[in-house]
Amino acid sequence: MPVLAYIASPRSGEKSKLLQQLNAMQHCEAFSADNAEILILVTDTPDTEAEKKLQKQLNRLEALESLSMTFGYNDELQYKGEGDGHED
Amino acid sequence: MAMKIDRRSFVKSAAAASAVATAASLFPGISFAGWKQLEGATGMIRWEKAPCRFCGTGCGVLVGVSGDRAVAVKGDPACSVNKGLCCVKGYHSVQALYGKDRITRAQVRKNGKMVEVPIQEALDIIAAKMKETISKHGKDSVAMYGSGQWSIPDGYVASKLFKGCIGTNNVEANARLCMASAVTGFMTSFGLDEPMGCYEDIDYANVFITWGNNMAEMHPVLFSRMLAQRKRRSDVTIIDFATRSTRTSQAADKSILFNPQTDLAVANAICYEIIRNDWVNWDFVNKHVSFHKGLTNIGYGLEDNFAFQDKGEGIDFEQYKAFLQDYTPEKVEKISGVSARDIKYMASLYGDPTKKVTSFWCMGMNQHTRGTWINNLVYNIHLLVGKISTPGNSPFSLTGQPSACGTVREVGTLTHKLPHGVVMNKEAREMAEKIWDLPAGSIDPKPTYHTVEMFRALDRGDIRFMWIQVTNPMVTMPKLRRYRDGALKEDRFIVVSDVYPTPTTDVADVILPAAMWVEQEGMFGNSERRTQHFDEIIPPPGEAMSDTWQIIEVARRLGYEKQFPWSQEEYIPRIWEEYRRFHDSPKHNMAPYKVLKARSGVQWPFVNGKETRWRYNAEYDPACSNGEDIHFYGKKDNRAWIWARPYEPAAESPDQEYNFWLNTGRVIEHWHTGSMTRRVPVLHNSMPAAYVEINPDDAADMGIVNGEMVRIISRRGEVTMPASINGRGVPPRGMVFVPFFDESYLINEVTLDAFCPISKQPDYKKCAVKLEKA
Amino acid sequence: MNRTERNIGRMKLGFAAFYLSWVLLALPAGAADDIPYGFDSSGEKIFARFNETPLAAISGIDGRRNLISFYELRQYPGSPPKIPHKVSPSFSGETENCIACHGRGGYDVTQDAYAPVTPHPEKELCYQCHVPRLTDELFVETNWLSVPPPRLGMSQMGGSPTPIPHSLQLRDDCIACHTGPGAVAEIRVEHGTRGNCRQCHVQFIVTEPVLEFTRNK
Repeated sequence: MPVLAYIASPRSGEKSKLLQQLNAMQHCEAFSADNAEILILVTDTPDTEAEKKLQKQLNRLEALESLSMTFGYNDELQYKGEGDGHED
Repeated sequence: MAMKIDRRSFVKSAAAASAVATAASLFPGISFAGWKQLEGATGMIRWEKAPCRFCGTGCGVLVGVSGDRAVAVKGDPACSVNKGLCCVKGYHSVQALYGKDRITRAQVRKNGKMVEVPIQEALDIIAAKMKETISKHGKDSVAMYGSGQWSIPDGYVASKLFKGCIGTNNVEANARLCMASAVTGFMTSFGLDEPMGCYEDIDYANVFITWGNNMAEMHPVLFSRMLAQRKRRSDVTIIDFATRSTRTSQAADKSILFNPQTDLAVANAICYEIIRNDWVNWDFVNKHVSFHKGLTNIGYGLEDNFAFQDKGEGIDFEQYKAFLQDYTPEKVEKISGVSARDIKYMASLYGDPTKKVTSFWCMGMNQHTRGTWINNLVYNIHLLVGKISTPGNSPFSLTGQPSACGTVREVGTLTHKLPHGVVMNKEAREMAEKIWDLPAGSIDPKPTYHTVEMFRALDRGDIRFMWIQVTNPMVTMPKLRRYRDGALKEDRFIVVSDVYPTPTTDVADVILPAAMWVEQEGMFGNSERRTQHFDEIIPPPGEAMSDTWQIIEVARRLGYEKQFPWSQEEYIPRIWEEYRRFHDSPKHNMAPYKVLKARSGVQWPFVNGKETRWRYNAEYDPACSNGEDIHFYGKKDNRAWIWARPYEPAAESPDQEYNFWLNTGRVIEHWHTGSMTRRVPVLHNSMPAAYVEINPDDAADMGIVNGEMVRIISRRGEVTMPASINGRGVPPRGMVFVPFFDESYLINEVTLDAFCPISKQPDYKKCAVKLEKA
Repeated sequence: MNRTERNIGRMKLGFAAFYLSWVLLALPAGAADDIPYGFDSSGEKIFARFNETPLAAISGIDGRRNLISFYELRQYPGSPPKIPHKVSPSFSGETENCIACHGRGGYDVTQDAYAPVTPHPEKELCYQCHVPRLTDELFVETNWLSVPPPRLGMSQMGGSPTPIPHSLQLRDDCIACHTGPGAVAEIRVEHGTRGNCRQCHVQFIVTEPVLEFTRNK
């Protein structure tokens, strides 16, 4: 269940268009900064396959200039150690 | 595997929060009004104040609560101790509440096995056993062993039940192992306990000297305040005076190593230098100081029933000066390993009238077979030059535990103490009997056992029942094997109130699940006389019950409803207001409950609505009454006492066969025996296991490499553990160091139960061992 | 990482174009030719410098060095980075003085960037580990793959100080990498003045197995 967060830079002047486009996409939630030309995007996909598909979709967005990942969480990563590592 | 819905929202909130934080560092001043609208945001956190659960610094924290779980921690910006900053233990403290093996049900030993029972049944069993033991063996066959991590109400009801109602002075706490020498140091030098300065001294001092304490790891938030001062100003020096090299040595301007135990000699040599250079503040000394000496050759407490009573005698300055002739820097250099030049340098810092000097110390000076003496000697230095009780000039005895001051010292949960005064004093007994509503003569005027003697009595069978709360003596008693075997003997009934299974719960006959920290309402008192209140912020799990209430439940079953009448809704404020009555004087007044609840900590004496920051200084302390600028009102002669205390060797020094010093202590990640902090993932992963630090040259001589298993052997026992070379700390040649947080390596099976004959505090820093490759 | 690389690439071109145009504009817009030279304490120098220095350099904030460009230069988390800028062909340590820029950082006009500060200045044979990038072509395709690098957001709870996710070997100087304008933007901190980093931040190395506590091994 990958959850990721990004700082998204829109193309010049396209902040509100990008915000609309992102919020319209499945598994995505975005909100805008009040006083800078950037958005925060949080994605929440059911599995790694869907995550890969989402990444391709994001790449194709016209209004998106760049995406900087700041947070990544993936329940599916197995850690080895004493006992079973993570609960659940 | 599906994530639970609420956990997923939580992770999404965390994701958004981290992106916002990153954006803030790229675009200063950026704001995001829209992020609270994030779908499913669990952003509903309420913040409640509390003192940190861990060290004696007493940082104020804000516990973030979502629903009925603690989910986050912030430093409390309103608390003057730490001004919004914590350390890694504090920041992750709430995670210690949620270890998988948290004890939530009472257990009773039946036919050798621990069986879960309803807690009310366990309390019945405890009360019945107490009654039975008292009737068979007398009132002094039952004992309570508590803790400097007890809240103030915990200790108060324990003292009231055992000393007042039952009439036995078998009440002790683990602070005997931590701060007793500091207390006797205060009492012999000043007549009153607890530091005269406060943390604000850090903002004024030019020179900081740490005396045998690794402050960067043990009181890190205070150490950061020192570093900040040094960075901001051009005239601040930090000297690390220690027996081994640590982070504190790395951060200090100068690191001076001394041979164990010779701090006594160096302190005297500094006084010798101060007098020789005529740096004595005669105006101060003539008005406010008197000179004394006590007995010498006072022993080490190694035998059962060891008894010692010091005899003080007044001397004059000339006799004191003559006494110091044995402590010239050149003579002291020979035994201490500290060069005469460095001794003179330290003396010059104390003697320089333009410099304000703050000395900090903790376990290095307290866990010492001459702990009372070394506390006296550092006060001597400050008294000779008059650098005391004014901002920046501060001999500051740091406390180890969060409430060793608040509970053990101020409530008086030691065999000889009462909340006001000592059991040997008739007025003090009468005051307690009155406030506790007990018939005259209820309180026994004779102290019974200090901690080491109490466990010896348990071993011998003079004590048959012991209730242990909030501490882990089956890891921390020195010469551990004797005391563990003693607890396991036939016809010894051990009750343990704790939050996680430990080697102490392993020997229990009854285990009570305890509420931890903010799962019960209470107060702690920190090193600088600051009392901090905390609410019951989250409910305790399962059947866990506050230690205070456990004692009240048992007390009622023993027939003492009258003394413990309070309801569960308001027992804490009632207890506080009753306790306050003991301290009703300008020298010790405590703030009322309402004030404690509202503020992030209140210093005592709290007089006419104001905190006393510097005691004995008439400008700040309304209890001063001699018309002078300084009034040491603790002693009958209204002076502070300089004691001529000699150097005497350690109880067991290295010899031909056992040729290494064994030193023990802590690391920043873990608190004491690790029962709480090892359940915090980030702390456990940063420091998963204990080790023995060996000097690299010693290791090379023995062919030991990093990580190799080494056997540490003393006359008491042995432990095999991995070597650490150039790890967290580096001991000098001839010394090894072991941290005691790891219950898989019970290093106290190797240590010695020698103690300071005056304070009865054991010396965990010095005994003799030999090493072998395992 | 590939997907955003293109975007970053585009962004870099954009920036480059932006600054190039700025510089080109700056040249003709210098001090007028027909005024006396050197009066008023050579005040024309102030205006010339102002014109030729990019804003990022003056304001001391430069978000251009980020985690993606950081890991582009590395083969796996912890590997020594390639040298992204030109060095002389006989790069042998005798002709280059890496420490001149990378010892203390600072803004370099020729690179139009803040020099990252090395956490290990005591290692003086720089080219032993750091090599230049003379070509982007591969000799032969490779199957090389590594583990993902430590990610951000490793705080144990919202707002907790993040643990140190990387090994401290050769990366034990927090201030060098996490503070100042040369720091990677996402890991730059403003609270470096507190001094005792490991008071709050302890190691929790993400590329190693997570240990779980159990009593009695």
